[in-house]
Amino acid sequence: MTDNNSIISFVFDDRIVNIDFQSNNKYTPTTTVLEYLRSLPNHKGVKEGCAEGDCGACTVVIAQLNDYNRLTYKAFNSCIIFLPQLHGKQLITVENLGNSNNLHPVQTAMVENNASQCGYCTPGFTMSLFALYKNINNPSKKEIDDALTGNLCRCTGYRPIIDAATQACVNNGIDKFTEKENEVISLLSAIDKQHTIALQNKKQKYFIPFDINKALELKDQYNDAIILNGGTDVALRVTKKNELLPEIIDISEINELKHIKVNDNSITIGAGFSLEDVKKVCKYDFPELSSILSVFGSKQIRNKGTLGGNIGSASPIGDTLPILMAYDASIILKNIEKERKIKLRDFITAYHTTKITKNELITSIEIPKVTDDTIIKSYKISKRKTLDISTVSAGFSLNLDKNSIVKDIKLFYGGMSAITKRAEKTENFLIGKNWERTIVEQAMPLIYDEFSPLSDARSGDEGRKIMGRNLLLKFYLETAN
Amino acid sequence: MKKVYHESGVFHVSGEAIYIDDLLINSQLLICKVVCSTYAHAKIKSFDLSQAKELQGIHAILSYHDLPAKNITGPIVQDELILAEDEVTFVGQGIFLIAAESKEIAIEAEKLIKIEYEPLEPIVTIEQAMAKGSKLHPTQTMSCGNVEKARKESQHIIEGEISNGAQEHWYLETQISVAVPGEGDDMKVYSSTQHPSETQALVAEALGIKKMDVEVETRRMGGAFGGKESQANIIAIYAALLSQKTRQPVKLRLSREEDQIMTGKRHPFISKFKIGFNDEGIINFYEVNMHTNAGASYDLTMPIVARALTHAENSYYIPNAKISATPWKTNTASNTAFRGFGGPQGMLGIEAAIEKIAFYLKKDASEIRYKNFYGIDDRNISPYGEIVENNRLYTIWDKLMETSEYEKRKIKINKFNHEKEFYKKGLAVTPVKFGISFNSAFLNQAGALVNIYTDGTVLVNHGGTEMGQGLYTKIRQIAALELGISIDNVKVNATTTSKVPNTSATAASSGTDLNGMAVKNATDKLKKRIAQVIVDEFNKDDKHAFSKIENIVFKNNYIFDKNNTERKISFEKAISIVYLNRVSLSATGYYKTPNIYYDNDKQKGRPFHYYAFGISVSEIFLDTLTGYVKLLRTDILHDAGKTINKNIDIGQIEGGFVQGVGWCTIEECKWDKNGNLLNHSPDTYKIPGITDIPEDFRVNLLEDAPNPNTIRQSKAVGEPPFMLAFSIFFAIKDAIAAVGNHEFEPNLNLPATNEKILLSIEDIKNKIS
Repeated sequence: MTDNNSIISFVFDDRIVNIDFQSNNKYTPTTTVLEYLRSLPNHKGVKEGCAEGDCGACTVVIAQLNDYNRLTYKAFNSCIIFLPQLHGKQLITVENLGNSNNLHPVQTAMVENNASQCGYCTPGFTMSLFALYKNINNPSKKEIDDALTGNLCRCTGYRPIIDAATQACVNNGIDKFTEKENEVISLLSAIDKQHTIALQNKKQKYFIPFDINKALELKDQYNDAIILNGGTDVALRVTKKNELLPEIIDISEINELKHIKVNDNSITIGAGFSLEDVKKVCKYDFPELSSILSVFGSKQIRNKGTLGGNIGSASPIGDTLPILMAYDASIILKNIEKERKIKLRDFITAYHTTKITKNELITSIEIPKVTDDTIIKSYKISKRKTLDISTVSAGFSLNLDKNSIVKDIKLFYGGMSAITKRAEKTENFLIGKNWERTIVEQAMPLIYDEFSPLSDARSGDEGRKIMGRNLLLKFYLETAN
Repeated sequence: MKKVYHESGVFHVSGEAIYIDDLLINSQLLICKVVCSTYAHAKIKSFDLSQAKELQGIHAILSYHDLPAKNITGPIVQDELILAEDEVTFVGQGIFLIAAESKEIAIEAEKLIKIEYEPLEPIVTIEQAMAKGSKLHPTQTMSCGNVEKARKESQHIIEGEISNGAQEHWYLETQISVAVPGEGDDMKVYSSTQHPSETQALVAEALGIKKMDVEVETRRMGGAFGGKESQANIIAIYAALLSQKTRQPVKLRLSREEDQIMTGKRHPFISKFKIGFNDEGIINFYEVNMHTNAGASYDLTMPIVARALTHAENSYYIPNAKISATPWKTNTASNTAFRGFGGPQGMLGIEAAIEKIAFYLKKDASEIRYKNFYGIDDRNISPYGEIVENNRLYTIWDKLMETSEYEKRKIKINKFNHEKEFYKKGLAVTPVKFGISFNSAFLNQAGALVNIYTDGTVLVNHGGTEMGQGLYTKIRQIAALELGISIDNVKVNATTTSKVPNTSATAASSGTDLNGMAVKNATDKLKKRIAQVIVDEFNKDDKHAFSKIENIVFKNNYIFDKNNTERKISFEKAISIVYLNRVSLSATGYYKTPNIYYDNDKQKGRPFHYYAFGISVSEIFLDTLTGYVKLLRTDILHDAGKTINKNIDIGQIEGGFVQGVGWCTIEECKWDKNGNLLNHSPDTYKIPGITDIPEDFRVNLLEDAPNPNTIRQSKAVGEPPFMLAFSIFFAIKDAIAAVGNHEFEPNLNLPATNEKILLSIEDIKNKIS
């Protein structure tokens, strides 16, 4: 590599912080932002509640420059972000908002609404509220819920926290950060975001390329490198399984992967597009994908996680897979030489296994526009409605002729098998028949019979079979007429 | 009085509040890791620590051979090994302790430890324990009236069964302790414990030192809910053992997964009951056999069983009762205290029985509940012989049924259910009567130490601990009110065994009742001393009219003679005069709950100082195809006496209710056949989130309800609201019943997860066809 840039830089406590991973023993490239903050004497407000992105006690806000050179403020779980992922951004913790003698409006509202009891989740809630404050004025109940789904509180029952959000978010996001924004922008603008960062210590290499060709070159050179695209899943290998990840290529900073392209018959979504952004941009063209994403993880997770990452990890219950397959999505894979397109439904071959080769990267996802005669629906059943992985998920697509005869039907299920699986016997039974309740009811036992799901922590096999079967009826009820 | 916020509120929201993990300990701090059993039941044939001990950065690795004193501990019955010897009895049992310079080194060392196990067959469930006769303790039985006779006389007798699962505490702050060695045998222990005195005692025993050598300090916990009543002890013991060994400070903080695997949970129960009643639904007798999974050791199981027994009749008068409970010993982590402490499990049986009566008689369950409420002047003796005094059930019921529009909504819901095939709604009303006091009478005592400094500021020490419930806030208010000064001049000190000794756990909802009274006792003493000096001072200035002590009033930062109000002095000025007069400005306080007693052999007595009451009405929506439940509306009217802090009490009610909803619905613990907990992380163990609370949530305190003989006429409020969540469970059951037009009683146990709901609906559908 020609670049030899072993330092990351970010803005923190109103100044540029540089961390050189070669010369210090304190932090490694896979030190999490939470661990980093906890190691400092004056930023212990951030708490570890679970170290897996499921409770939000560690929530921080990261501000970064958008395309218009303004700052965007988003909430993240610091427990599943590696320190290098801060490069070129501003890190904001609860201490930066205000101290006990000089509180930020969101902090004041939390106190005045009795929104803290034990207080351990409170800094995290405060930061999620701060992100809400900066982004939405007078938020609706739904928007408040959405902003706070990723934060768990075991004491209050949440009502006072919702009240605090309503009380606080009324100033159009204006606060002390508004005053300092230009200062921060000039600090951030000075940070190099062009030359590939190559962090190294004795045991690890961590690369941050800023363009796709650099990334492909790196992948060609480091075949076994772990690709980090958002990293909400990869981070768990460090925080929960205590694995040492020797080589990481972090493609989260490649702008080319963050774009969306509208073609005549399809839409191409960059693999680096955050799930939160996908949720927003797909609202009209692919509402069922949007709807699944609205109950996908939490805001903090969706801000970090990407569509490419979710597909790449090929989890058997990857919540987006059944609906993407129902939309007949394809993925675009690239290596240094060529680009190829493969249907998503052919891409995943086994549990956590895909057809990607060692030197390829997922660069985008192409979703064909839905024809008028196609009906598509997505479903997710989980123990808890939000911030839970599905017990059973489904993506269905249906074509009827004008006499309500089933021309084509595709039933993709997640959680019913080791990978996302089609209910082929049931589909075959339904094709050519009338789309009517008696027929659907005849088809339901077929679904019940053609899967042998697992019994696990989420549900027994019997429960899963009933869910899978019932979803077909639900699909019928929602599409009849 | 103006609104008083949580005394730590501004520290919570700014991140300034210091929890144990935030303490700035010097750079010699070592990290402790516990090496745990991966088998539920196995012999340890051999182990080898040699390689691990050689690792750079390892300061000590202890096995049971290395313990300085006895290898046994436990809060009441001492039956827990500190470190396992030649046999392990549950997954997560501690075997070795590692002290390392970092977490990473400790993890590496753990990988180098070799243990050779010989697996034995584990007992995981209550059923397995029953089949093998694995009793922890003999069956406890309480009875009243004559059940034999009542059996013959009852018009109807039906039987049934209901069970509940375990519940993980999921306090946001996992178990943690930091031990710092001092000179000689001294050991300072920072512990996230609800019971500093017991932690002190058990650390002293484990280290082979004296109680005076051990100081335990607890400023605040990041949640506890009973989970840190006894099970914080072993964490402190582990940190202190390594600290004693290495002579360095040692921190032990469990990861979330370790915490979920190593520590106990709410006790699962199976209750099998028979109930006799007449055509009207009036209960004649109730017979229940409760079976509970105690886990691998006693821990607090016996007092939990005692509370299950004394709450098995909930709010209902049972003339003839036979109530028994058997704790079963299994190879799972020892189950422990959790908000309600056996009360919820005890009440569940009678609530299920009442539902059964309603189905049998084809009446609304609310009618059966109301008819069987304890009477005011008669039908008011509990099965253990205590008279249910100051019964507020009727007052609450009448108000709540009206404000919640129960009857009107019931009709609307029936209409909805007839119109919709796949969507159903359910409605239920459930009451709570909860006895306040520790069941063991001797525990009902508390101490305090109040110091007034010469600038007129006050530092209050007491034996209670702050876990978020607002105890420190209420104590601060009590001290300020009693001394007639602003709360800004009162601070509550971190709870420490060196200030107030021999305290009871902050548990049983008793924190404010006991410690508030102890503080008042101390401020009473101080006021008397101050008043004497001030009277002398007043009388010195003016010889014509004498001020008397009994006329001295402490109010609004002043001390004055109420018969001669120009005789007035500021509190601050008064204090400096008292000091110059050489009168002590520090006083201890003490309180013991009066008139409570219990005979364990006869299971009779007056265990409770008073009862707290509450009722809730809940309406839910159910999608019968997916099992998805939405909480539409909950109305709660709860009796907190004359509240000391309304917002804090409402917070306890809402929070307790939502925690109860979690237990009733989505919180599920499953073990595999080898005794491994499957739901050991938040990935699969789901506590309620922000979208899981009632869409319309109306919580009110019963007004004009002063409680006699308690601190400022208030009532305890920590645990009782938890059980108000039964209205959600029975509303779900009501909606499922609507699938079969209420002709069949749904088969449903706790937790009512979407899976269990779907299976219950299948069952009803099979009965229809």
